[in-house]
Amino acid sequence: MPETADTTKTDTDSALQTDLAKTAEQASKRGTDKVERVAKRFTVKSLNLYYGDFHAVHDVTMRIEPNQVTALIGSSGCGKTTVLRSLNRMHELTPGARVEGEVELDDQDIYASNVDAVEVRRLVGMVFQAPNPFPTMSVYENVAAGLTLNRKVSKSEKDDIVERSLRGSHLWDEVKDRLHRKGSALSGGQQQRLCIARATAVQPEVLLMDEPCSALDPVATLAVEDLIEDLKSRYTIVIVTHNMQQAARVSDSTAFFNLEAPGQPGHLVEIDATDKIFTTPSQKETEDYVSGRFG
Amino acid sequence: MPEGRLHYQDHLEALEKNCLGGLDLVIAALDRTMEAVEHQDTELAELVIADDDRIDGRYLEVHQEILTLLATQAPVATDLRLISALLHVMHSIERMGDQCVNISKVIPLTGYDAPVHSEMIDRIRLMGKQARTMVSQSKKAFEGRDVELARDLVRQDDLIDNLNKECFQIAVQVGDDPDTREWAMTMMLVARAIERIGDNAVDIGEQVAFVVTGLFREFEDASHPGRETLPSG
Repeated sequence: MPETADTTKTDTDSALQTDLAKTAEQASKRGTDKVERVAKRFTVKSLNLYYGDFHAVHDVTMRIEPNQVTALIGSSGCGKTTVLRSLNRMHELTPGARVEGEVELDDQDIYASNVDAVEVRRLVGMVFQAPNPFPTMSVYENVAAGLTLNRKVSKSEKDDIVERSLRGSHLWDEVKDRLHRKGSALSGGQQQRLCIARATAVQPEVLLMDEPCSALDPVATLAVEDLIEDLKSRYTIVIVTHNMQQAARVSDSTAFFNLEAPGQPGHLVEIDATDKIFTTPSQKETEDYVSGRFG
Repeated sequence: MPEGRLHYQDHLEALEKNCLGGLDLVIAALDRTMEAVEHQDTELAELVIADDDRIDGRYLEVHQEILTLLATQAPVATDLRLISALLHVMHSIERMGDQCVNISKVIPLTGYDAPVHSEMIDRIRLMGKQARTMVSQSKKAFEGRDVELARDLVRQDDLIDNLNKECFQIAVQVGDDPDTREWAMTMMLVARAIERIGDNAVDIGEQVAFVVTGLFREFEDASHPGRETLPSG
């Protein structure tokens, strides 16, 4: 009945507003000191994700604040990577995968029928677990690869964007004398920063990072973490990590996902300011996970 | 799911036991101190002073264990709050040990045959007994994560504070005899030290509330007496 449906919707919205206000207030306490460009905010409402018949993620409602780093943590199979991939419509690339609920980038539902998935992926870039520069392309070509997909770009503009992106990724000084050598000849850490430069060259609003440091040594990891701290002045960043200390070091907000049992869908246990999650989490499940008591 | 980090949990439990064991050392020191006060036993007082090295040693030991845990285990959430609290508790223990030393150091000043004023010594005896109860209660509250028992330390501390005030009144009106006045002034130093031990026990109680609730609030604000700062329950 419409009345019941309206009431339920109002209750959900009201609960969401309360959660969101709390998250925003707490997250803003740790917010970025300097914001060079106001990026966009994600609002996720009642998100359910499926692979065929398998219900992978159940009813996630949360807000991802602009110009902040939000870490998604949880044990393997809890759905955090699936949620990440749903934020730029990569989830639907898996055959049989489907999405229910809403994912809004500012006020635009990215799953609305009139929205082009390719444009969503331009606005919401992705950095993957293993550095994956295009193997046959030079450093320069890797960064410039996405620039000409939508429009013509002059050589001088391309030069500027490549330099700006490489500088923004803390890589320029290391590669400026070998821009035309293969990107795959760089070290693992440099390759990952090259991928970040490639992702930022198209001026996205959001950067999604799926365990971006898991294939890197500690020195390269710290370099990428420093880079993430700088990038949030221009982008909204969502990072999936298994390294809880990394989540604690780099993020402003942390979302903890968990499974009730193997085979059950993953769900969001809580999202809160990172310092709160790692000192006084609200949920016992979170406490047990972050202090390593289980699994 | 399997339980994780068992060695780490063992390490944490051992740390807490070692730290709170310091309160047993304080109780032993306090018992000897009060006996020395009552009988003007300077030899026993010297023993208390010498034995304070055990409490100081425990402080250093617990401090080093805490540094090791922080450096190697990256504790978070309740574990982190517990470790932070234990550092405070150990500091309070070390201070209580020092108060016993302070008392023991003034015992020789009272002389071999001091002009003991019974009303005052009775109150000091009561203060010592009450301080012992509080130290023991603070340990029990911490071990049981019992915030109500911890909060009760404030009520217990009021008894010590009142006795301390009474001692002060007695000392002021103790008469004109210079020896008795000197003895009474020395006893005021003793009363003050016992009163501080009570305060330290309350400090431990506040750490119990911090471990349990994640909020640090003084049970009573010293600069605004009577204003409770932590909601009960």
